[in-house]
Amino acid sequence: MDRGKSPADRPGDLFDKEKLFDKPEPLKGVRVLEVCSVVLGPATCDYLAEFGAEVIKFEGRKGDQMRYVTPYAWFWKGMSPGLEIENHNKYWVGMHVGNPKAKALFLELVKKSDVVVDNLTPGRMAEWGLDYRTLREVNPKIVQLHVSGYGSWGPWTGRTSYDAVAQSMGALASITGFEDRGPIKSGVWIADWITGLMCANAILSALNYRERTGEGQFIDYLQVENVIRLLDWTWLYSSRTGEDRKRSGNRDLAICPSDLFDCLDGRVALAAFSEEEFRGLCEAMGQMDLYGTYRDPLERLRDGNARELLDRIAVWARGRRVEEVEALGCRHGFAASRVLEAKDVYHSDHSRERGAIQEYEDPLYGNMVQQCYPPVMSETPGRLKWSCRPLGFDNGYVLGKIAGLPAEAVKVLEGEGVIFRWNPDVPSQCPPPGWDGKSGVKTP
Amino acid sequence: MDDSNIVGLSANREYAKWAHRETNPEEVARKPEALDDTLVLDLSHANFAGLFASSLLAEMGAEVIRVEPPGGDLARKMTPYGMMIGDAGLGYIVEGRNKHHVTLDIAREEGKKLLLGLARKADVLIHTFKPGHLEALGLGYGPLRESNPGLIFTAIHTYGQFGGDSETYSNQPDYDIVDQARGVIMSVTGEPDLDPAVPDAYKKPLKQGNWMGWYAGGAWAAFGIQTAMLHKRKTGKGQFIDASPPEGLMAISNYVMQYFHMSGEQMPRAGNYDYAVFPYTYVKCRDGFTFISGFSDPNWSALCEIMNRPDLRERFPSIRERLTPENQPTIQHEIEQFTVRYTSEEIQQMITAYSKKPDKKGTVVSGRLETSGDVLQREHWDVRKTFVRVNDPNYGEVLVQNSTFKSMSKTPGRIKWVCRPIGADNESVYRKHLGLDRQELKELKENGVV
Repeated sequence: MDRGKSPADRPGDLFDKEKLFDKPEPLKGVRVLEVCSVVLGPATCDYLAEFGAEVIKFEGRKGDQMRYVTPYAWFWKGMSPGLEIENHNKYWVGMHVGNPKAKALFLELVKKSDVVVDNLTPGRMAEWGLDYRTLREVNPKIVQLHVSGYGSWGPWTGRTSYDAVAQSMGALASITGFEDRGPIKSGVWIADWITGLMCANAILSALNYRERTGEGQFIDYLQVENVIRLLDWTWLYSSRTGEDRKRSGNRDLAICPSDLFDCLDGRVALAAFSEEEFRGLCEAMGQMDLYGTYRDPLERLRDGNARELLDRIAVWARGRRVEEVEALGCRHGFAASRVLEAKDVYHSDHSRERGAIQEYEDPLYGNMVQQCYPPVMSETPGRLKWSCRPLGFDNGYVLGKIAGLPAEAVKVLEGEGVIFRWNPDVPSQCPPPGWDGKSGVKTP
Repeated sequence: MDDSNIVGLSANREYAKWAHRETNPEEVARKPEALDDTLVLDLSHANFAGLFASSLLAEMGAEVIRVEPPGGDLARKMTPYGMMIGDAGLGYIVEGRNKHHVTLDIAREEGKKLLLGLARKADVLIHTFKPGHLEALGLGYGPLRESNPGLIFTAIHTYGQFGGDSETYSNQPDYDIVDQARGVIMSVTGEPDLDPAVPDAYKKPLKQGNWMGWYAGGAWAAFGIQTAMLHKRKTGKGQFIDASPPEGLMAISNYVMQYFHMSGEQMPRAGNYDYAVFPYTYVKCRDGFTFISGFSDPNWSALCEIMNRPDLRERFPSIRERLTPENQPTIQHEIEQFTVRYTSEEIQQMITAYSKKPDKKGTVVSGRLETSGDVLQREHWDVRKTFVRVNDPNYGEVLVQNSTFKSMSKTPGRIKWVCRPIGADNESVYRKHLGLDRQELKELKENGVV
């Protein structure tokens, strides 16, 4: 029994997932206008939405490009999984923000909002008369973030970026891959996701500052520069040695041992850098001579030493099962783990208990099981409330409830084509087949 | 500055000039800092997730006290090939930015007392010890919260602080390679499973080349801390943040989880192919590799026109043909037959010229696959101050990547100093926050506490 322990020693109680929806959301009351498409901009807003921000997403006639980007051109219940992944808990409006007739309406919403995010070509919002100066006039507390590959000014401003461009121009791709093979891009759109995460951090800093001072601001964020920032010691190394950082497969050039090893029945990622951890590893291997030779972590990092040591571990691991090496890691205090795949995490009790994987019923799409953004927070946890939506699905709610337009005015805007809904001929804009016409609709 | 260096390729020159004035790097030092009312204790142990989290807060102006054991933290030795500059390796110099460096033996009674004193005043505490370690020392969230209910207690570890795996694996340390291995992304990164031209020896999971597990984990921790800070500003309440770096990666692993839920199938490793967008790939060119794209129908038409290969457009007319694992190696090969004849710059020029044609079919994007040496020479990064070169009194002339928050108009992020030697700020920090005088500090030093 753990009766005698303080709550902090049983942190599970602090994070009881049964109480998830009883707890407050840290960004409740923060309204975000999302003028974004594809992954990076929508992901920025998605992170905020899962922690309680009210995100209003605007789409043009064709809709977000991710309505058409999906593995093997495969759709589920008419929906594109590519669209689902960066769009949760949002309100969906069909309105081309660049339409001159939409401008007044958008500015009306800016008055009642906290953050505006766009990942359009730099300057596009300004062409539409929605530059920061204009937004600030109607709402001095507004925070506007623009994110693009190369930023709003500088010799390369205006060049188009995608995730894979940012990985290549920022040199992540050139350091990812096996030593004797070519560069490899990440298996996911990593430069979109992590840049979005840093954009969310920038927005949160601005909101914290605004909480103190009442002042909003403009943020210019550069995707390629973000990749550069995350490449740890690369730049200091290259500037000092005059050499490119090389690819080294799964071997960590700055921590030894740290690599992926083949076992009898799979592979194990293993690391043991401190003297104590390394001694534990040598004990587990029954090769204390290695400890004698390579006790000093810095000695182990010399290229020749590292290669010899990693070879010795590789030979040892080859005769072991993955589970056995993991258990030795636990017993001897070094790090050892299999490589997890989607299905492992999907079915993991650990992930579900932590709320890292959440299950919910979406009124349009039914049962959903998917990852919720971390970290796990005791007082203000993130949560999944609903999934992505058809184009223009929440027009009525946003224009009626938030912008405060009477129903007739909404009709007029619809008639003028300023606001619109899904095109029935394009399934990935539409509700799922068999939708009852009501489920999921938020009424003003 | 020369106008052309500001407006670049912008279609809206006035906007570019305005944006430059708003975010001019020359004016950063004169502007206020967003988080300069926030006190952070960083107890990270041999772990760059914690160090990166506190770097982000420090770039935004938080006062970060970096607490190391008396001999210095092992993270100082995590450096390529063992290269050291004084008492710090290259990785540590990059993430030592703006932090006040003190030493403290928190296992000793006097050390505990000092830590409790600091934690009473702090807004945020970050640690990366094995689950249960601080609790066993009597420095867990419970006692710290009692003396400071506003504390945001942030624990970073591979397996998290609760849950079945957290108990089973609690004696394992947190490392980037394991964070990546458990973060799912590694399982789908690497050479393509379904390409017969790839030797089997290379068909295995591959980590991202950088410390992506740690950096993503740290960015998520900072994200949590900043949302908690907003909550604290409104309610006065702190909380416990449990940040697991693998969860930070799996949360951004594209649609692999959704696809499994919806179809019951897992995605294979695609290498430089992409089964949701293609072409969207790295191709060989005369001087290395370049990215090239053209995945929607109009953009694919544009790429085929640039290559003068109308036959390809007819052979692979829609995304249904272009998104199969069987066809992608073929399409890749056909594109490379064209690109190997040109340098990446020539390809970029052809694409730019095409983009100005009135009858263009769509947009093609390229981007050279830069090496780290290439990046350091680019004027754009020089103009944007992406890197800062510092002549540091302790570490000499060093170049590090700047804060990426530097282009915030009111409260730009910045680097004030790169790193500090072990214990360099003991005197100033312990005096400022705990009122210790020189004599008291001397005794603590003699007892090996600091």
